[in-house]
Amino acid sequence: MKDVKVCVLRIEGTNCEDEMADAFSMVGAVPEKVHLKQMERNAPAGLGRSLEEYDILAFPGGFSAGDYVRAGAIFAARIKSLMGPQLKSFVESGKPVLGVCNGFQILVELGLLPALEGTMSETPTAALYTNDSGRFECRPTVLRNDDNGKCLFVSEIPRKSLVMFPSAHAEGKLMSNDPDFVNKLEDNGQIVFRYVNPDGSDAEYPWNPNGSPSDIAGICNPAGNVLGMMPHPERVMTRFTRPDWTRNPGSVEGDGMMIFRSVMNSLR
Amino acid sequence: MAVIEIRIELKKGVADPEGKNTKKALEALGFEGVGEVKTVKVYDIEVEGTGEEAVSEGEEMCKKLLANPVIQNFKVTVR
Amino acid sequence: MVKDLMTRRDKPYELFDVSLREASDEDLAKISGDMALSLSLDEMKTIKEYFVKEGREPTDIELQSLGQAWSEHCCYKSSKAILKEFVFGIGRDDVLSRGDAGVMVFDEDHGYALRIESHNHPSAVEPYGGAATGIGGILRDVVCMGAQPIALADPLCFGYPDRKGDLPPGTKHPRYLMSGVVSGIRDYGNKVGIPTITGGMFFDERYTGNCLVNVACLGIVKRADLAKNYAGGPGEVMVLIGGRTGRDGIHGVNFASRDLTETSDEDSRGAVQLGDPITKEPVMHACFEVNAKHLITGMKDLGGGGLSCVVGEMALDAGCGADVDLEKVPLKESGLAPWEIWVSESQERMMCTCRPENLEKVLAVFDSWDVLATPVAMTTGTRRTRIFWHGEQIFDMDQHFLTTGPLYHRPYVAPQVSSMENERSPRLPDDRTVILKLLSDPNVASKEWAIRQYDHEVRAATVLHPMVGEMNKTGPGDASVLRPVPSSRKGLAAAIGCNPWFTALDPYRGGMSSVDEAWRNVVAVGAMPNALTDCLNFGNPEKPERLGELREAVRGIGDFAKALNIPIPSGNVSLYNEAPGGASILPTPMMLCCGIIDDISKAVTADFKGPGNRIYVIGETKEERGGSLLYRVFGGKQGVVPSVDADNVRELTGKMLRAMDMRLISSCHDCSDGGIAVAVAEMCISGQTGAVLDLRKAADMSPRKVLYSESNTRWIAEVSEENAEEFEKIMGGSAHNIGKTGGNSMNIRDSGVIIEVEDMRKAWNDPIWKIMGGQS
Repeated sequence: MKDVKVCVLRIEGTNCEDEMADAFSMVGAVPEKVHLKQMERNAPAGLGRSLEEYDILAFPGGFSAGDYVRAGAIFAARIKSLMGPQLKSFVESGKPVLGVCNGFQILVELGLLPALEGTMSETPTAALYTNDSGRFECRPTVLRNDDNGKCLFVSEIPRKSLVMFPSAHAEGKLMSNDPDFVNKLEDNGQIVFRYVNPDGSDAEYPWNPNGSPSDIAGICNPAGNVLGMMPHPERVMTRFTRPDWTRNPGSVEGDGMMIFRSVMNSLR
Repeated sequence: MAVIEIRIELKKGVADPEGKNTKKALEALGFEGVGEVKTVKVYDIEVEGTGEEAVSEGEEMCKKLLANPVIQNFKVTVR
Repeated sequence: MVKDLMTRRDKPYELFDVSLREASDEDLAKISGDMALSLSLDEMKTIKEYFVKEGREPTDIELQSLGQAWSEHCCYKSSKAILKEFVFGIGRDDVLSRGDAGVMVFDEDHGYALRIESHNHPSAVEPYGGAATGIGGILRDVVCMGAQPIALADPLCFGYPDRKGDLPPGTKHPRYLMSGVVSGIRDYGNKVGIPTITGGMFFDERYTGNCLVNVACLGIVKRADLAKNYAGGPGEVMVLIGGRTGRDGIHGVNFASRDLTETSDEDSRGAVQLGDPITKEPVMHACFEVNAKHLITGMKDLGGGGLSCVVGEMALDAGCGADVDLEKVPLKESGLAPWEIWVSESQERMMCTCRPENLEKVLAVFDSWDVLATPVAMTTGTRRTRIFWHGEQIFDMDQHFLTTGPLYHRPYVAPQVSSMENERSPRLPDDRTVILKLLSDPNVASKEWAIRQYDHEVRAATVLHPMVGEMNKTGPGDASVLRPVPSSRKGLAAAIGCNPWFTALDPYRGGMSSVDEAWRNVVAVGAMPNALTDCLNFGNPEKPERLGELREAVRGIGDFAKALNIPIPSGNVSLYNEAPGGASILPTPMMLCCGIIDDISKAVTADFKGPGNRIYVIGETKEERGGSLLYRVFGGKQGVVPSVDADNVRELTGKMLRAMDMRLISSCHDCSDGGIAVAVAEMCISGQTGAVLDLRKAADMSPRKVLYSESNTRWIAEVSEENAEEFEKIMGGSAHNIGKTGGNSMNIRDSGVIIEVEDMRKAWNDPIWKIMGGQS
């Protein structure tokens, strides 16, 4: 079978690219960590890359460009000016795009999410804003899969079942100036993950660590091939990185595997 | 050449946790009677053009990078 | 400026010749003072003699360089003799390097690096920047071993954050310092993407005037890629990497080598550097690449003393000299005098050495990462450092004289040691009140406010987290455990240990106890302690009492480490930790212990796993309450500080690890502050499970003494009924069954006291949140 090539795109300050690449390797993909500079026309010999070479695009977490200006804004602006049209056609061709944490912030700043009016908006139509607590929050979060069959990344996760992906961010509250925003996402089937309490009931802080409306943790575009989420599936590829694994015997596999296996299955 | 000042403010109704925490820190340092603290970002940017031209370039910068219209307002002035 | 003694050369740049050879003692003191050299009169006299022998006057840059190299911070002049006598050279053949960071064998292919350092004085003046740059510096120490940083650990000491009343002049409020320091660690650590996995917070009034910020870093390196911190020989190029050089951080080492004063705040802002984690990140990547490609011969970070220290040390350790073209150093701003460039401590800079034929390749790698890299010097066969400014020689000194520095055997007095003779036990309320009060003491209370702001999971290798138990209802852990090599199940454990109160009352036992605590934290998770690194935070060594404390504590650490045969391949000393006015901090020997666990799936956490299991205390509980939390909180005086016995430590460690390897232990927690009472309470809190205790079997003492004694080398273990027989067989007589898990409360049969787990959780969980703001 043909290799599934993954572009794990980074710039200065991206810092979760190793575990993101490892996660794709674990499900049999061939990830490559690519610096945005390598996408430039005048990239050093042998290092130049172009987006069309890849089957999947992933934006890992971190603090791209220091999160100066706004989380993800500089990375997004540079991508837009360098390869906006290529990115747009990558998405429109149906290839999967994943953004985790800072990656989600980048997708929103790029206008690829929520994408209520077309693939990629000129300016951002949403924001991932400072957590209600005003603090960086590194803690376990339980998510419910609320996808209704659209999103490429969750086919392996039974509908309405719960997974534990940890969160670690200071800006994860999804905001829009459209008051009807949540309903629109709901109607479009774009809400993929919601924070819940461990018993599955509506999340309260700290189970919703940022105050996101309707407990939204992750959304996809209307086509279902672009997923952005604040929590980190790549951090729980085995059970041994779950914070409570010593309390709960179980299989060695971690919840995060399902995200990566789902997207691989979608390409077969 | 001109220097434009770009002032990025949170929109009305957008909570300002950084401002709130700064207020607490000021109180911890012994400042009494501190009212609301707002965080504002100001950029001073040297540009080629002057006057109107400089301002509209600044506005373009805000739209492309410096402000997210969902949460932020911006104001561009020539200094 | 010392006008008469300094003559400016007629040059377009700022350079002074200093009239030293004819200077009187008074002049010498004035020169040292006016140039902010922080050198003593005797040191100035030695320097004078040197230049008399050289037959010329020194330049300002030469004197500034000496001021850096001979600072306490750079040459350990007060502590080196003591360190040599007691802790250096615990040799074991798995020590791979004692360079800028220590490196130990991890497995056949990998080594792990460890190092701890203080950033106390900068943090007392500017907590956010001081702490952040502390992280930056410690990361570079690990990077320049060729190691990928994998974890940070930050033990901190402050005055009480809820302190009321006037502060000593020139001092900032502990709450403000704590908030700034935690923010600095958070922003730098999180942004650079290295998890902060453990640490500690110590609160005492005696830290109010001089807080302590210690930062530690662990790394992992392929043994084939282990880097050296010095050149390969003469004729090599020295390449300066990373940030530009500016006026920030001038005289930082001198600042770190004297007491804080009332005006430190105003005077020393220039000595606090500004960090930039986003520059650091590509610098790290680029350094790994040139190292892995074996294009360089050595690398070293620019820390205290900046270029002045790094150039000399990289050359001297290779038996070389160096010729420096100082004007080539890239600057942040124009107009810096040569001496300022030479001693600036601007952040995010490293130096590497390479053979000239590899220079182009090295520069190409840095260019590909957008990292500034500039050849600034060549190593020579002369053993002298010479500096040129556009071809004119402005500096020419013997390396040995410059770098070695003075070595002092300062006078000390042996400290008074606390004993049972004058012991005064406090009047205690009932056990319920006592236990809730101990749990809410800030030294015990939950540090979740800080821990959750640190990303402790980035890199996806954190196996045991700093907080353990039911998710979002956690309690304190012992050691944290990482899985540094994803393809292997081998784990690396790390924990902090320190008891400054023991050390104040009995420095020798305090030093030993600090090692014991770090050691037993590592054992508590199922790992075998493998190496230590220490940060010795003490007062002014020119005061004999303070030096006596340092000496005794170091003797304790050394004696114990030798008896346990555990190496200390790196370490750091921070002296002059005194508040404005001269009040000393508690003597604080901060220990970091690393351990290895062969199979992370056998790691054990401290949360009770369920009802109906037996609770054991392992180790002997003695009447040792001097310096205990109980005495501190309720006003006890004196008393015996807990002792240690290395044979006993080894024996119990072996038994515990065997039982854990056989998966006989469900949970395990180290027994320290607050004794059995607090340890069991914490296990209840994290496990959401109660316990019934019957302490008569633990020791032949009154139950109250058993409950709060802080004897060393003890653990609490939870063992299921089905494993109990096997467990007891392994432990011999060392495990004492003191009760059973179950119910919703901690029930102390001996006194009839019952405390609900929820009440204990509240007492433990809330205090720091309340002070700092927010909630769990």
